[in-house]
Amino acid sequence: MKKIISIGLLLFAMVASGSLIAQEEGDKLIGIWEPSHGKAKVKVEKIGSKYYGKIVWLKEPVDPETNAAKVDKNNPDEKMRTKPLRGYRILKDFQYTENNEWTEGTIYDPENGNTYSCIIKMTDENTLDIRGFIGIQTFGRTDIWKRLKMQSKKN
Amino acid sequence: MFRQKIALVSLLFLFQAVSAQSDTTAIQEEEEDYSMYDNLDFVDEAAKRFAPAKIKGISPAKLISIGYDFQGSYKITAAAFGSSEEQTATVNSTQGIRVEANIPVISKNNLIVQVGARLWDINYDFDQPQNLKNKLLTTLNQNDLASVGLNTTIYKPLSEKSFLLFKISADMNGDYAFDEFQNMRYTRYSVAALWGKRPTDNKQWALGISRTYRAGEMNYIPVVLYNWTSANNTWGTEILFPARAHMRYTVNTRSMFFLGYELEGNSFRIGNQGLASPDQNIDELEIRRSELRFRLMYERQIKGFLWLSAQAGYRYNYSYNVDQLDDGDEFFRGFAGEQEYIQENDLTNPLYVSFSINLVSP
Repeated sequence: MKKIISIGLLLFAMVASGSLIAQEEGDKLIGIWEPSHGKAKVKVEKIGSKYYGKIVWLKEPVDPETNAAKVDKNNPDEKMRTKPLRGYRILKDFQYTENNEWTEGTIYDPENGNTYSCIIKMTDENTLDIRGFIGIQTFGRTDIWKRLKMQSKKN
Repeated sequence: MFRQKIALVSLLFLFQAVSAQSDTTAIQEEEEDYSMYDNLDFVDEAAKRFAPAKIKGISPAKLISIGYDFQGSYKITAAAFGSSEEQTATVNSTQGIRVEANIPVISKNNLIVQVGARLWDINYDFDQPQNLKNKLLTTLNQNDLASVGLNTTIYKPLSEKSFLLFKISADMNGDYAFDEFQNMRYTRYSVAALWGKRPTDNKQWALGISRTYRAGEMNYIPVVLYNWTSANNTWGTEILFPARAHMRYTVNTRSMFFLGYELEGNSFRIGNQGLASPDQNIDELEIRRSELRFRLMYERQIKGFLWLSAQAGYRYNYSYNVDQLDDGDEFFRGFAGEQEYIQENDLTNPLYVSFSINLVSP
């Protein structure tokens, strides 16, 4: 009986350790990234078992129409239109699957208020292919994001 | 003892795994000092920024478009040629379905390649068709004109501010039926190459040269691109001169008005069915069809990624002349060439409407 319990626990341990390795792999997404347009910086965090990305920097943080901080004025939900863009989560609900891919998530484009299905692929440790699509991946567009770091001190 | 250790280690692993997977879906918003993100560098020092293909506020690109085009009544005077005498006839309407698709196949920061296809049907509904004598008119009455084309657009940014843009199109136009294509040697090729700058997120411009059939016959003409959006995102321009030029008024990101024109044209081979040629020695004919469409256009989101595009305007005939091309071999007339047309035809100018349902791009 003890032998069966031990084997069972060992199997659990193997599954659990596999899960931990997957989590470590998934956590490679955590960090600060710059989309190709260079107009924003996005910080990816892990909340629970999923990954989220929020805008932490805007090239033009002030709305020229209002002279106030930019808000999510294109959101189809009127209640959200006063929410500041800085701090806004544009990547939501990503889960690490395998082969450096995060799926099941969405990406929000504040410039038109649309939310797209999205798949993230890490092509190297500092580069992401972010593919937003409609329904099937064929109808989509890939944007390449680059990982950022704090500026090195200059003498 | 060994088994106990394995069991203990296993339990620890299990506990860690389960605790790590506990899902706290409630997202805690934290106060954060965003100034710490002001000064960041690429981790990969070789990484470069490139000029994005789009500017702020530009109308959404159409991935798939299914539309219908309708021109009202007008008169066509077909000149005499061969044994056909000049004849003026009334066209009640010209209409047809237009289906287009443009799919990005490579979409990277430093290269975007898009492949497109289109299928247009142009049907002529004549008043009193039984009285038509001129062979051009009898051909148009009997056969629709069709245009099937493939195209590729390549956007290549060179830096954060400059880019190259190429467009290559191959079109097969004529009075053939869709189940009986004409010979591939009658394919007409158009090419445009531009170099441009994108000085701000609100403006891009480019200059280039094109080999085009927009004026009906093959020509080489300069091209100017100028896309601009005002700071408040209300006004803008979307110009690829001379093909099209529009002023844009943005009601909101889901609703836009455009005022401007499009120059639409191509060379349509006729006589595929053996009808156009009035005499055996006059064959290999192509209608150099080109029209300017001055229009007001409205585009709005219907739901999600489905958009409606509706336009109404005035169709001005620029060319409906006919050339003879032996074996389909193209020649260059340009604006100053003295080669004579087989037929110089006149069309009066009607009002037109057009609408389409579109799946727009992310």
